[in-house]
Amino acid sequence: MNLRGWGGIVLCLLALPAAGREYPARSAPQGTLTLYSTLDTTVFEPIVVDFQRLHPGIGVRYENLDAMPQYERFVREADAGTGNADVLISTAMDLQAKLVNDGYAAKHVSLSAKALPSWARWRDEAFGFTFEPAVMVFNRAAMKGRRVPQTRAELIDEIRRDPEFWRGRIGTYDISRSSVGYLLASQDVRHSSEFGALVEAFGDIGLQVEEHSATLLERIGSGELVAGYNLLGSYARAMPGSGEKLLLVYPRDHTLVVARTAIVARNAPNPELAHVFLDYLLSDRGQRVMATQTGLPPIRKELDGIYERLGVDESQVGVLRPIALGPGLLVYLDRQKRKQMLDSWRAILDRPR
Amino acid sequence: MTERTHSLKARLVATMALLFLAGMMAMHLAVRGYSMRAADLSYDRLLAGSALSIAETFSIDGTQVRVDIPYAALDMLSAAPEDRVFYRVFGPGEETITGYEDLPRMPASRIRGQDPSELPTPRFFDAVYRGEKVRFVLLGRQVAQPGLHGWVWVQVGQTRQAREELAGELVLGALLPIALLTLLALALAWFGVGRALRPLQAISADLAEREPSDLHEVRAPVPGEVRPMVEALNGFMRRLEANMVGMRSFIGEAAHQVRTPLAALRAQAQLALDEEDPWEMRRGVRKVERNAEHLTRLVNQLLSDAMVMHRADVRRFETFDLVDVVKRAMRDSVPMSGDVQVGFISDVLRAPMHGDAVLLGEAVKNLIDNAIRHGVPDAQAPDAEVEVGLHQVGDEYRLTVSDHGPGIPVADRSRIFERFERGDTRSSGTGLGMAIVARVAASHGGRVELLDRDGGGLTVRLSLKEGK
Repeated sequence: MNLRGWGGIVLCLLALPAAGREYPARSAPQGTLTLYSTLDTTVFEPIVVDFQRLHPGIGVRYENLDAMPQYERFVREADAGTGNADVLISTAMDLQAKLVNDGYAAKHVSLSAKALPSWARWRDEAFGFTFEPAVMVFNRAAMKGRRVPQTRAELIDEIRRDPEFWRGRIGTYDISRSSVGYLLASQDVRHSSEFGALVEAFGDIGLQVEEHSATLLERIGSGELVAGYNLLGSYARAMPGSGEKLLLVYPRDHTLVVARTAIVARNAPNPELAHVFLDYLLSDRGQRVMATQTGLPPIRKELDGIYERLGVDESQVGVLRPIALGPGLLVYLDRQKRKQMLDSWRAILDRPR
Repeated sequence: MTERTHSLKARLVATMALLFLAGMMAMHLAVRGYSMRAADLSYDRLLAGSALSIAETFSIDGTQVRVDIPYAALDMLSAAPEDRVFYRVFGPGEETITGYEDLPRMPASRIRGQDPSELPTPRFFDAVYRGEKVRFVLLGRQVAQPGLHGWVWVQVGQTRQAREELAGELVLGALLPIALLTLLALALAWFGVGRALRPLQAISADLAEREPSDLHEVRAPVPGEVRPMVEALNGFMRRLEANMVGMRSFIGEAAHQVRTPLAALRAQAQLALDEEDPWEMRRGVRKVERNAEHLTRLVNQLLSDAMVMHRADVRRFETFDLVDVVKRAMRDSVPMSGDVQVGFISDVLRAPMHGDAVLLGEAVKNLIDNAIRHGVPDAQAPDAEVEVGLHQVGDEYRLTVSDHGPGIPVADRSRIFERFERGDTRSSGTGLGMAIVARVAASHGGRVELLDRDGGGLTVRLSLKEGK
């Protein structure tokens, strides 16, 4: 595991400089909008393309960063007065909430923004624009003939019943490096009484951790891993051939829902362009393009029913627990709180077996 | 044309509106202060609860303070959903244990006199942080462990948006009903004044529709405030009516009194014309002359009576000397060629008084005239004498005119003051003299008495108040 983990970091570091792309304006240039985003450039591209169809005069510079480095870079630039990001997009709702709380975000008021559910909006400054449940992903072939756990309790049971089958074959985010992984784990701690037992069980069978969803999904798809815990279903469904290879389970006890969150920087170099873009992103058209061309489930309820958006039947899904944007999210970013959580996480996973 | 004044209604309502406006402004200030306190009070509890729940998680690990911020500690503050939240936990040496290191310190003025006590009492203050006014609570907890002892503090802050909103709502909730009531009151005043003034319109309509001769009093029901005006109007109309009645009866009587002597005059003139005998004709003409003289006297008396009546109503009073008036009246009324002795006896040199000199002169003339006419039984008698006297008794002047005539029987004395009543039906008087005297006396607040004179004759006594 350690070797693989290091490999991940090296890969990640190598990938950083190349991440991003410039989409120049196609007619009378009005300026160039800079986006910092945690979404892969290729995933996000259709949205930028459609946006430029509406606003050919606006060029877009898209920078793909991981959540934590993106946060740190943004704060560093803003404090130094050299900020060049107009809009920030991140899966790490807690980091976005902290930016809002610490006064780095600008107000954005529009009809589309008002149409968002209240949990996906804070202070008219942070806006969730996707609706992404965290799911358990199983390799269909490997699970053939076995009972597929539908809840955390059932997963614990299965691990306890046949530890050898699962040993080294369950993966999840490395919460010390993946911001969305940390966010999901912290919300699990809050909501689930079984999470502690689950982590204990994971510790017993040698949990595999990765920084990125893509790596985890690849390993599950290839059969190297049997299951992934707390992965964003949108990535799984976007993977080619995922239908035959992967089985998505929305935990019946409760399913956390993450909304990718966008904010407009307070010191944005092009505030008008930023507001135009955010308005587009939250609009019917933007949401529809996102849903059809990127596979990211839209947050606007007007488009489809909740379950149609997820592509699943209602009976398969239990309690949906959207993570609400708000000051509560600051708690797990607390220095001591984070340290304690990571310490206990490592203590369980790294103990000698 | 009456001077144009502002509408009573507009004035009243404008005054009220100004008053209400001032009241509302004062009230707004008071309510705003009160609402701010109320909003602070309720949100401060939440803030203190948050700080307390953080302070409860303090623990000592060797020489380190550990804090495990509960999710609820910050989540409960989202009761103010739009407000930002800041916190800091720091130890005895001001070193930050966790949270925002650059939070503002509590102002020194608030710390004074508030030594940390055994019980954690939250202390609140406002300070500007990250460009916004923030409400902070500071809560201390004493730790005493081998490795560490002293106070550990937790400071939690929240921006004031929800407080301002709550205060705004409270202000609106308090002032809106008052504002509505104010508008209602102004509307009521507007229409109420109109209603209150309606009786005046009724009076105006009543007066406008009247015949010129209709001087009935106004009987429309009026509010108490307007009653004096209506009463004054009614009094005025009563006087006017009395005046008109007097005038009418005067004209009627005058016409009647003048017609008879005129007819007699004409008949005598006719007879004289028809007379062949010059001596008889001369006798007829003398009759005509005597009648003409009588008529002249009557007309003079009538005019005098009318003048007295008018002046008594007008009451144009001034100060003058009664002695002068009596002397002048004597000069005017004693015939130049008469054989009658008119004497004046007075115990005062000057008799200042307040009144109408012309009226009093007229009264004295009439009295002397009467005395000469009626009071001398035989015009040829050498001792015939009229005596005029003026005496001061207390604060009264007593003006007496005495004669040696037959006097007036007691039974007739009250009648004598009526107009066109003569003491003796055979006499040549007009019947106006004593009426004029009585009227003058009444207009000066005095009185007239008829007394028997010692040694025969009549004394008319006029008592008048002395005046300065």
